[in-house]
Amino acid sequence: MKLTLPPRVSLERFHQALNAFEGVVGKGWVLATDEDRDAYADLYAPGSEAEWPAAAAVAPASVEEVRAVVRLANEFKTPLWPTSRGKNLGYGASAPRMPGTIVLDLGRMSRILEWDTDLGYCVLEPGVGFFDLYEHLQRAQAPLWMSVPGNAWGSVLGNALDHGIGYTPYGLHSRNLCGLEVVLPDGDLMRTGMGAMDGNHSWHLFPSSFGPDWTHMFTQSNLGVVTKAGLWLQPAPEASLLLTWDIPREEDIGWVIDTLAPLKISGVIDQNVFIPSWLGKIVLLGQRRDFWDQPGAMPDSRVQELLREHRLGYWQVQVRFYGSESVNRARADILKAAFRRHLDAPPQETAWQAGDPLSQYDVTMGVPSAVALQMGDWVGGRGAHMGFSPVVPATSKHVMAQLRRSREIIAAHDVDFYASFTLSGRFATNINMLMYDRDNPRQVANIRKLFNALIGETARAGYGEYRTHLGWMDPVSDTFDFNGHAQRRLNERVKDALDPNGILAPGKQGVWPKAFRASRSGGEKT
Amino acid sequence: MKTRLAGRAMAVWVIAAGVAWADGAPPPPPYQMRAPLPEGDRLVPGRDADALFSNRCGACHLAGGMGTNILTKERMALGAPPESGLLVNRSDLTRSYITTVVRHGKRAMPSLSRVEVTDAELAAIARWLGKAGE
Repeated sequence: MKLTLPPRVSLERFHQALNAFEGVVGKGWVLATDEDRDAYADLYAPGSEAEWPAAAAVAPASVEEVRAVVRLANEFKTPLWPTSRGKNLGYGASAPRMPGTIVLDLGRMSRILEWDTDLGYCVLEPGVGFFDLYEHLQRAQAPLWMSVPGNAWGSVLGNALDHGIGYTPYGLHSRNLCGLEVVLPDGDLMRTGMGAMDGNHSWHLFPSSFGPDWTHMFTQSNLGVVTKAGLWLQPAPEASLLLTWDIPREEDIGWVIDTLAPLKISGVIDQNVFIPSWLGKIVLLGQRRDFWDQPGAMPDSRVQELLREHRLGYWQVQVRFYGSESVNRARADILKAAFRRHLDAPPQETAWQAGDPLSQYDVTMGVPSAVALQMGDWVGGRGAHMGFSPVVPATSKHVMAQLRRSREIIAAHDVDFYASFTLSGRFATNINMLMYDRDNPRQVANIRKLFNALIGETARAGYGEYRTHLGWMDPVSDTFDFNGHAQRRLNERVKDALDPNGILAPGKQGVWPKAFRASRSGGEKT
Repeated sequence: MKTRLAGRAMAVWVIAAGVAWADGAPPPPPYQMRAPLPEGDRLVPGRDADALFSNRCGACHLAGGMGTNILTKERMALGAPPESGLLVNRSDLTRSYITTVVRHGKRAMPSLSRVEVTDAELAAIARWLGKAGE
């Protein structure tokens, strides 16, 4: 990709900045060729990667190097886009929101600094991937389990900082963060929570602070660069029991949610329960053309054929219990009794005990895998996906309304419908995977139009997204409109106070610093 | 229409969230531990290529990985044996092809940055994996 300079930075000044960065991180860790820029592009971009181009990347190896790079970026007015491992796939990968921003690649900061099996936590640098931490814990025979997202190729901290979701009792990943070390936009260094006291022993254990706790100011944020963080881990259970139901009909999701949510809120179920629809299974079997050879969305009649052919329900519910065997059985009995009121078929039961092998693909046991990315192969060509991810109250009324709304909009755009709900207690996250061939301009244009329609209609109904792709950060932030976008005004005041040069991640989540506020794209993305 | 892959899919590790998907399908391979990243300067040649491949590429290209699964389907569609879905079993890959795919991506595989795989690491991996020569 050809060079796109940062706004208002000359080529000469840009090269001076890169030379200065090189003086900090060393030759070889400032990456500025066309090929490098390609590697930091959004590989799933709905359209041209050149829409969100990085100018270069710089890869520090320590907190001191991060501080020095941030100070230099202020001096040269070259904005930085921090990424941990750059695998935010479907949301922009490692590409920056503002063209010409320099990626601050933290992938070299990959040390696991501490792990404590008694109190169940670890301290990580941002470059530590889920595979790295899993293998570290396995080799150390540490009785600790992770929580992993569907695609676990990325960074543990990066995912938590971007509000990622997993499918264990520790599935709300940002809630597992406890005690951050942060480089502020001026290069200052601070620690959140009890870490504000030098040498404090409870830094990664006490989730609040003396005074305001700033921890979540740095999640989905452009107010600092997190250089290390404490992360709570689940004690490895002595036993586990998995119940699996195939749920026959689409509309059954209503009673499923009404049955599971009270049990989750009251603590009978302690994991995040993932409820994918049928297409989540079929994408693993082959490509779209193997199942439906017409260009438009797969019709209901063919869907029903496939469900029969593969003995699938429209949804699959899997609930896993963790702990002692007798408690797991007692909890399972409560759940089975609740399901029997709606479904005659008993669940498939899969028991596990400490020492048994773990399935390579079981995200409910915290095993990392990238196999979910096989969905990228569904449509063929350079397949890609975007996730439309609104959050809804966990009741049938809200879930059914959301399902019908998104289904209708997606059908009107003639796109295959692949929905899932992840139940986290009082709310469910509804992820609609929109899959497309990047080399098919008609499909790309249609997906963009569809995404706009989903955002607009869903917001008008009273629901917002928890996370979105770079290209829609402004439109989604527009939907958070209470009192004339009061939250945006606060975000901008804080941003301008801490980052007067607008150095860190301009435009992240729709928060633009004064220096680049004109870059905000209002209204729908075209 | 009929589903086109009913037979060949059986040989592929097709698993959904830990539950065997197809009747008669073998159990999934256990988690494949990658080799630790070899010590040493990542910008300098001379580190263990086998371990580098395992560590840098293993999240997708060991048994049961995303890349292996997709390649297995592709290879079987071409009449090749399923084992050829594993890159280590291939004898037809050239070094330049490997380098190109890593740096430019291929279909579902993204390009990898020089932080993820340095030039020295990629050269070692391509030399080790590229049994068809340059």
